[in-house]
Amino acid sequence: MRRKPSRWPAAVAPLLLVTTAALQILLAQVADLSPWKGGGFGMFASLDHTPFRGIDIVAEAPNRSETLEISPSLEEPAARAATFPSDFRLTQLAKAVVAREKRRGQPVETVKMEVWRQDFDPISLRATERRVRSFSYRIP
Amino acid sequence: MRLWFRPAACSGTVETALRLTAIALLLRPMGPWYVLPVILCLAALAIVLPTALRTPATWLALAVLVGVRILDDWPLADNHIYLLGYWCLAVALALATTDISAMLEKSSRWLIGLAFALAVLWKAVLSPDYLDGRFFRVTVLTDPRFADVAMLIGGLTRNELEQNRLALQALPEGAELLTPPVVTEPWRLRVLAGIATWGTLIVEICVALTSLVPGGRRTRRLRHASLLAFCFGTYAFAPVAGFGWLLLIMGLAQCEYDQRALRGLYLGAFLLVLVYSEVPWAALLGNWLGLQ
Repeated sequence: MRRKPSRWPAAVAPLLLVTTAALQILLAQVADLSPWKGGGFGMFASLDHTPFRGIDIVAEAPNRSETLEISPSLEEPAARAATFPSDFRLTQLAKAVVAREKRRGQPVETVKMEVWRQDFDPISLRATERRVRSFSYRIP
Repeated sequence: MRLWFRPAACSGTVETALRLTAIALLLRPMGPWYVLPVILCLAALAIVLPTALRTPATWLALAVLVGVRILDDWPLADNHIYLLGYWCLAVALALATTDISAMLEKSSRWLIGLAFALAVLWKAVLSPDYLDGRFFRVTVLTDPRFADVAMLIGGLTRNELEQNRLALQALPEGAELLTPPVVTEPWRLRVLAGIATWGTLIVEICVALTSLVPGGRRTRRLRHASLLAFCFGTYAFAPVAGFGWLLLIMGLAQCEYDQRALRGLYLGAFLLVLVYSEVPWAALLGNWLGLQ
């Protein structure tokens, strides 16, 4: 008698999709991952994504407290940190800020960051900023 | 081990689906320097050499490379890159079996069904700003990729569009302007946002249900019809051709041997999404109508 071919290979990729999506939904709910990213298929479902998320960065040192622009060298780590503001991502961004400030010969001891997102009023669409996370990195 | 390097005997439908996947990989190059050239070479080989196209190892390697690209860029990769990785993995596993067409039909149906079910979950349950229409109202006004549509269908002038963008800039938490700027939304724009909101959700529910429920001949027809309707409609506006191609390829993989016309429709839709992505049709139409 001929053995019926196993069906499990057809289920592997869909199972991987479900696992990744479950993790994405969890991270979006508890750790502020943007619904658009992470493989959970939340794109085109929410305004909580890159154009409406941002990070304010302040470099501090004795006699210095300066709000920094996101320079081209910081764009990528800033985009990652805004999309998923975890301790790891924010520390990576802070280290990139420190490296840049040192290249510019600017003193820095602490990097303070505030991740925000834009909320829109359901009727008037008026936009307001809402803080998602604050983070402070002190150079060890 | 030898199984992974032995070219499989595929049907014409499967070969077309695999070839289109390779074309999609070439049309939208992706990944860091250590991944990109390998993906491009494998995709080119798959198109030129039938044995490479039908070898499971080719697709397993592509699945791994797409996975590396996602990890390298995490969390910034778009969702269709994940779907591409799952699809390449499903192809590799199917090519290593004896029942390739049935395996691919099943995998692609589940992948599409689950992706759409998750998209519906996000829109209808998890997102606070989709069902009330805010998502599309704001997106059409602020995303430059939708500017032509906002003017052509929504009835906005370029000046109104720019004023709206300024009006939608955020104020710091707790701040309020004495005379806040008003967002101009002509009734056509509200109708467009409403149709986009509910039309997208309804079609996505149809695709999810008809894909996840095995069903009979009628369900299969509905499945193809809703998937094609989604792709014809969505990718005229949504700037993610890569997603559209992948859905159409997976839809094509579900065609039966005697469904030549349907296969032709999928191929035509693949080309149409390509045209949508390369021709600024809304801007051209707007210019022609003197709306710019």
